[in-house]
Amino acid sequence: MATTDVQGRAVAGTGGGAPFTWSMVLPMVRAGLFGFTGYFGAAWITAMLAHTVIVNPLPATIGYLVGLLGWVMGSGIWDGWIRRAFGGEESPSLTGVERYFRFSSDPKATAVRYIFFNITAFLFAGLAAMAIRIELLTPDSTGWWLSEVHYNQTFGIHGLMMLLAVAASAIVGGMGYYLLPMMLGARTVIFPRLLGLSWWLLPPAAVAVFMSPLIGGFQTGWWGYPPLAQNSGAGIVFYTLGAATLLTSSVLGGINIIGTIVYMRAKGMSLGRIPMFVWGLFAAGTILIVEAPATFTGTLMDLSDMILGSHFYTGPTGHPLAYDDQFWWLFHPEVYVFVLPAFALWLEILPTAAQRPVFARNWGIAGILGITMIGAMVGVHHYFTAVSAERMPIFMTITETISIPSGFVFLSALGTLWGARLKLSSPALLCLMAMMNFLIGGLTGIFNADVPADLQLHNTYWVIGHFHYTILGSVIFSWLAGLYWWFPKATGRMVNEFWAKFHAWWFFIFFNMTFLPMFVLGIEGMNRRIAVYLPYLHPLNEFVSISSFFLGAGFLIPLANLLISWRSGKKAPQNPWGSKSLEWHSPSPTPYIVFPEGSDVTVVGPNDNYAAGAPEPFVWAPTTAGK
Amino acid sequence: MSAKTENLVKAFGGLVVVWIIGLVIAEGITAVALRHWPLIGSVQAQITADATTYLIWQAVAIYVLVGGTIVYSVIRFRARPGDMGPPAFQRRYWTPFVVFWLGMSIAINMANTIYPGMVGLEQLWGIQLQAKHPLVVDVTAQQWKWTFSYPKQGITDVSQLVVPRGETIDFVLRTKDVEHDFWVPAWGVKKDVIPNEVRHLYITPTVLGSTKTNPMIRVQCSLICGNGHPMMRAPVQVLTKAAFKTWVSNNSF
Repeated sequence: MATTDVQGRAVAGTGGGAPFTWSMVLPMVRAGLFGFTGYFGAAWITAMLAHTVIVNPLPATIGYLVGLLGWVMGSGIWDGWIRRAFGGEESPSLTGVERYFRFSSDPKATAVRYIFFNITAFLFAGLAAMAIRIELLTPDSTGWWLSEVHYNQTFGIHGLMMLLAVAASAIVGGMGYYLLPMMLGARTVIFPRLLGLSWWLLPPAAVAVFMSPLIGGFQTGWWGYPPLAQNSGAGIVFYTLGAATLLTSSVLGGINIIGTIVYMRAKGMSLGRIPMFVWGLFAAGTILIVEAPATFTGTLMDLSDMILGSHFYTGPTGHPLAYDDQFWWLFHPEVYVFVLPAFALWLEILPTAAQRPVFARNWGIAGILGITMIGAMVGVHHYFTAVSAERMPIFMTITETISIPSGFVFLSALGTLWGARLKLSSPALLCLMAMMNFLIGGLTGIFNADVPADLQLHNTYWVIGHFHYTILGSVIFSWLAGLYWWFPKATGRMVNEFWAKFHAWWFFIFFNMTFLPMFVLGIEGMNRRIAVYLPYLHPLNEFVSISSFFLGAGFLIPLANLLISWRSGKKAPQNPWGSKSLEWHSPSPTPYIVFPEGSDVTVVGPNDNYAAGAPEPFVWAPTTAGK
Repeated sequence: MSAKTENLVKAFGGLVVVWIIGLVIAEGITAVALRHWPLIGSVQAQITADATTYLIWQAVAIYVLVGGTIVYSVIRFRARPGDMGPPAFQRRYWTPFVVFWLGMSIAINMANTIYPGMVGLEQLWGIQLQAKHPLVVDVTAQQWKWTFSYPKQGITDVSQLVVPRGETIDFVLRTKDVEHDFWVPAWGVKKDVIPNEVRHLYITPTVLGSTKTNPMIRVQCSLICGNGHPMMRAPVQVLTKAAFKTWVSNNSF
């Protein structure tokens, strides 16, 4: 099952096809047009039928659903997939540049689109963060900048977009979907069209969330807690639908990850030889499949309370805490969807950089899978202040237990570094910085797991500091590490090492200057989600804001570095880092067909044996299957 | 081909030195910083602040031990220029280290669950159980203000919270609209106020003062509740028992 019919029809071994012309972008334009007209057409008709205006919740809901359908169909899903179900002819698979601008069953094209989407969402949501910090430069309501209403909308958008449009798919989407088949010795994923669809769900959801202020915004932050959700602006419609769409997209990816790992591994790729990074993806996929449905159903029930009056969580018979239970069912484990692939990335990059095998590899894997399992049972620690006393000791104990498997990852990484010959390339440097940051993020999490400490620190800037250390400080550092590490794989060129390292230090210094003082702010009684604070907190906030401007401006460096290196970077050799992993066995940039037809790989040993004269772990032999 | 064998025992000796120096410096800084802890204004705040400070000592130590090992290894085991080959040390496993790590991480976890976790909870619950006749204060939250009533004293709907020092108070929390959270930073604990529910929070103030003398003594909504959330505060006054009696007689009807 190494090739699909799609690839059978494709031109073998070429990445080429016609050079880029602007007409290749037309499917994306068509998708936008269908989506735009679908949204406004449906919203207008609904508004007329319901005798209301199009910014009301019901027309916005119907408009979103029709617009989403129009966008997805316009992207090429109709002619590339659905039309066949109605007896029509399926359009041929495109193997050239055009596949990047339309629905495509090529996981590499999908992954590259993920990277562009994640970077764009990161820049916009980052601008929202800058807007937040400008507001907090002064303790009072800053008249010339954001009102309290706009401020609340801004941090809600910042939170939801950074989590679901950046962190959720940065490593899993951009790197994971690109590398998953290659690392396993497969030529594609198990459901390539489903993976293609997963990307096309993202842009409309993100646009809707960013545009939510146009229909009234939402005041709830990224939590959407009822009953505030139902009475603070129609923008919550885009919040609930956007979150549900983004999570559905993640689930489609998760199904592909698990299916590909289970069914598409090369001969000899036993569970003991699966690369560490794939174990991280496996953990993320498992969490998404098991836990996401409960939570996106919850956000849709939240919406239903608003437009249908269903009273799941509101009104005299509804129970708001039921929403918290459903919401955190996924959204605590969701942070492991972000961070477990990052952990796995460290254990993928560091052994190559250190030229040592992964130390205590089985314990590292046990750590990743242990977090996956225990992580499903800890969501209640996000609302210790709302639950009965009986729940406190139970979830305190389970939550604290999670630091044991997290420690295994550090055990493996430390053991790998010990006695090494470490080549400190920019990706390795970023991984090490991510470890230093995660150490702070993890250790400060113990305070929130410990109920007595949490009763004071909950919902203060302590929590803001804690999760930015885990997500920005670890996941985004690791994301950059991965982007630099596999940049030669995707483009055939190297990133500029000097600017990559320069920015790594810039990022590390200003990141710590921005978020370390937040722990102090939390202890001193600054609660989160406030546009106005008391003057005694002013000096430290000013320091944080100014640091954050440097932090934010610094991201122009990697942006320019990636773009310029892509155009005119140094040509990369096939295996620039000296990695023993399977993805480097194909030429760089990766051709459309990753591994040429007629030859299949057999895995004969561990892929992290860097000892001098170690045998090659992969053996290529002529294809025998099907003959 | 392979680089010269490193003396890893000697390297470990260097790491121990780094650990000791690092611990002395970091915990020293911590000791100085913890002297500037903000106001601890209730028995409960003492319990939660003890938990927090204990965990800070511990977190700083673990950060130095683990983070110090990362930094030390990166410097000590860096590839020198021209140092192309892999190191001779290629072990995948060293049982004493793994067993030690496993044992320590389980031990620290169990210890943390017992102290400050369970011990702190027992103390907080104990105060609640021992308070036979607490002063009852009804707290009503709504977008975006707090109102307080003293049912036994016949005081209703005042907009500032006045309480006596040294007496356990049973705050009865209700909301008229959305979820809020009752929090006085100086008193060290908070509780969400949930629609359709009545919640209790027990606090024993120990420090005289008011919002004017220390901004930590203020009621602050700590759960996002809409546009007015940041301004949803109320002034607090902690009086002596005698002064509180006078205040009650002046304000009841």
